[in-house]
Amino acid sequence: MPPTPRLNKLLLILYGLATLGVLIAALVSPEIRALAYAPLRDIIIPPPKPVVVHVLYSTEKAAWITEAVDRFQATRPRVVGRPIELVLEKSGSREMYLAVLDGTAEPDLISPASQLQIALLQDLSAARTDLFRTPVVNQNDIENCRPVLETPVVLVAWKNRADVLWGNDPNGRMWLRLHEAVTEQNWDSFGHPEWGYIKFGQTNPLKSNSGFQAMVLMTYNYFQKTDNLTNNDVLDPGFQEWYTEFGRNVAKFGDSTGTFMEEIVAYGPSQYDIVAVYEATAIEHIENAIARYGEEQGGLRIYYPPATSMSDHPFCVLNADWVAPEEAEAARLFLNFLTDKEMQELALTYGFRPVDTSIPLDSPGSPFLRYLDSGLELTLKPEVAVPPGNVLDTLLTFWQRAVRP
Amino acid sequence: MKKHLQHLSLMLLLVMLTSACQGGLPIIGGNSVVVPMYYGSEKEEWLVPLVEAFNAQKNKTEAGSTIVIEATPIGSIESGDKIVAEEIKPVVWSPASSAYVPVTNENWRRIHAEDLVVGTPNDLVLSPVVIAMWRPMAEALGWPDKTLGWSDIADMAVSEEGWAAFGYPEWGDFKLGHTHPNFSNSGIISVIAEAYAGAGKQRGLTLEDLAQDRVIEFMTAVESSIIHYGESTGFFANRMFDLGPSYLSAAVMYENLVAAQETKRLSGEASQLPVVAIYPKEGTFWSNHPYIILNAPWVTDEQREAAEMFEAFLLDKPQQLKAIEYGFRPADPTIPLGAPLDEQHGVDPLQPQTVLEVPDGEVVVAIQELWRSQAKKPVDLMVVVDVSGSMEGEKISSARASLVEFIELLDDRDRLEVILFSNQLTTLSELSALGEKRADVMRRVSGIIEGGDTRLYDAVQFAYDELRAKGDPDHIRAIVVLSDGADTASKLSLDQLMVQVGNLSEGGKSTKIFTIAFGRDASVDILKRIAESTGGRQYDGDTKTISDVYAAIATFF
Repeated sequence: MPPTPRLNKLLLILYGLATLGVLIAALVSPEIRALAYAPLRDIIIPPPKPVVVHVLYSTEKAAWITEAVDRFQATRPRVVGRPIELVLEKSGSREMYLAVLDGTAEPDLISPASQLQIALLQDLSAARTDLFRTPVVNQNDIENCRPVLETPVVLVAWKNRADVLWGNDPNGRMWLRLHEAVTEQNWDSFGHPEWGYIKFGQTNPLKSNSGFQAMVLMTYNYFQKTDNLTNNDVLDPGFQEWYTEFGRNVAKFGDSTGTFMEEIVAYGPSQYDIVAVYEATAIEHIENAIARYGEEQGGLRIYYPPATSMSDHPFCVLNADWVAPEEAEAARLFLNFLTDKEMQELALTYGFRPVDTSIPLDSPGSPFLRYLDSGLELTLKPEVAVPPGNVLDTLLTFWQRAVRP
Repeated sequence: MKKHLQHLSLMLLLVMLTSACQGGLPIIGGNSVVVPMYYGSEKEEWLVPLVEAFNAQKNKTEAGSTIVIEATPIGSIESGDKIVAEEIKPVVWSPASSAYVPVTNENWRRIHAEDLVVGTPNDLVLSPVVIAMWRPMAEALGWPDKTLGWSDIADMAVSEEGWAAFGYPEWGDFKLGHTHPNFSNSGIISVIAEAYAGAGKQRGLTLEDLAQDRVIEFMTAVESSIIHYGESTGFFANRMFDLGPSYLSAAVMYENLVAAQETKRLSGEASQLPVVAIYPKEGTFWSNHPYIILNAPWVTDEQREAAEMFEAFLLDKPQQLKAIEYGFRPADPTIPLGAPLDEQHGVDPLQPQTVLEVPDGEVVVAIQELWRSQAKKPVDLMVVVDVSGSMEGEKISSARASLVEFIELLDDRDRLEVILFSNQLTTLSELSALGEKRADVMRRVSGIIEGGDTRLYDAVQFAYDELRAKGDPDHIRAIVVLSDGADTASKLSLDQLMVQVGNLSEGGKSTKIFTIAFGRDASVDILKRIAESTGGRQYDGDTKTISDVYAAIATFF
């Protein structure tokens, strides 16, 4: 018996509803959704808005972090059912925490070059109760804030010039000898008038961490000690005169270690003879320098200071009003991803020392093995003590006032 | 049913429209954001195609405006001064080097109490400043076994014998060229390098150093071999490569221009002798083409954002690789240096071995002043002005006013003669130093009146003969001719004139004629022929542009 027209209509509605249900289910489920016809899919159910995590990071780890971000995104990370989108921006380490403090930047996650800036941001934001309810970072909260990579400050010179200047060993007076070289000597003193004056470069201690660390190391070397640096030391007229003379003879104070090292390689030996940068920054450019100027002129030699100062690249999720809970969660996921073994091993290939100490520096393929001829050392000399905040402040004030007014 | 379908289609259309708008699709024509950029002309060949390619991509700012880059080439020193005077208002400024940036910043700070250039801008491309020299001449001086520098140039410049001392009397005197230090980066770089070499220093040049006799003597010695100055390094390079070794023995320019010329020569496009880059042994400077987004009140946030996107595009690898083709060294350190940056193209990528320190702003300004007041080679200049009847009205008044401005640009040590021509040739002021008579000449020029025919050829010949008779061979010798029409009354024919003035027996040191075709009725072709036969240049001018034309001519002296 043929169905009545009324039943026909009912069946049609039921059929239509069932089809719609299947369609919606397919669109909501991410796996099936991907198969649907995109324009139709996006019109009916717009894709979930991504959770955007703004990351400010210091430039010297750019190559590693770019690859790490690609790998992170490849895992299709999500929080609360929404995809995570990372927006990265380079910044000098000091500029970074100052921008957070004065409200010109509102990142969710920051990574300066060292814990030093995190300590400063923690203290300074605690003092700004008008702007922040609590300190925006907490060094002791390791779930949200911890070191991810390590690399010491070193001196890098063009190998042929380094051989003439110090050979393999500048000995324990390295910073003192550097002072002598830039203030009293020129390349004529070493039989090479064609190389002109001795050009040393480092970053500006007020703008970039490596320059600040170099200044701290040089100050320690002047007093021939590795701890207990005091305000009295920094205010010592003999030291101030000695350092000011050095500062006036520095060829350039760069803004950021990464871009400064790029400049060193781009210009070649004519512009800088010797520079203070991070070990990893130097490693990143060893091959570029040779590719650009050949083995003879493009080889780089790395010198380790008599005492070490480490840049440890903390990543810290900010505890600020502009960081939504899902953004903080997404930032933490990214931080955890960075300290996973895979990313730590990747860091080693970029010349950083992993914080995961189960990864040996002389693993196969490690640049530490590949570039031993450039003077790389696996074991570092003891670290200097990080001076108290007020001593660091005095040092920076002295620099600002007297060295490059 | 039909009605329902209509409703459904309408709803679907609305949904699609809303969805599309949320996604920022340009269904409705969008706005555009224009980014004016003023740049050092040396990188024109690399930059212009990239500007076109970027604009064609129709890149958008976050707010959805289409980015349009408008790039204008300009002398690097001139552009800094014009920005401070707010005569030009770029968003992006990319001079040939950072050397003059501190001076511009200082001048800006005096008015605005803040820096115009903040932080350290990124470099776009690099090229060292070199002395470009014809290869046989460099070899005659002992290159490449012997390293050459500014001191060798100074020795050559003051030598009575010139090239004869090296066994090549047929090459005549040593003839050097560099651009005008008040307009062009390579010009200011040249005089800074001369001051360093004179002081025997490579860094820390002070005002006290500049007061030493030996510095002034050294600079004056080098400058004595100058054939003339000029506005742009690119123009200078073309002049040298077009007119050959008799015109210029060597010129200060950038390595990329040498590599580009050698590329042309090796491909058969140019037929001159090979040219090589000499990297001065005392040290040199880098031309680093900084990309500066100005911290100026006229720059909007959106223009800044757009400018940053264009910067990222220029620094991206494909664009950086392209720079090598034009002889630049990429600012991207991961790109190795390859042809044409090689020996075959007259270039040594392992040079320079050292640099000179960029002096403080006040020292740079003092060097400019020292050059202008003492070291600069003076000019013996004949200004020949058409005052025939056709010049009546606005023409004669603008010619008078612009000539007064031109005379203001000349220095006290320059010598000037002013000749007026119509049916008559009238000497308004005899050839003598301008310092003593400037006010008088300017007053008399202001009173010029028009009337009569045009004896152009006779006037040029007269000026030429005057200069030959009275001109100092140790000065730059030049004639500037302004004319608004064809010759109507000369006794001399054009061919007879050309035989006389086109005599380049003195090579680059011969008398140069600069001609201005004033207005629509001027004989452009004839004026061009006269100018170019002497190594000078022809300009088109009218009542609105005549001041700029005179200012451009003034850069040669």
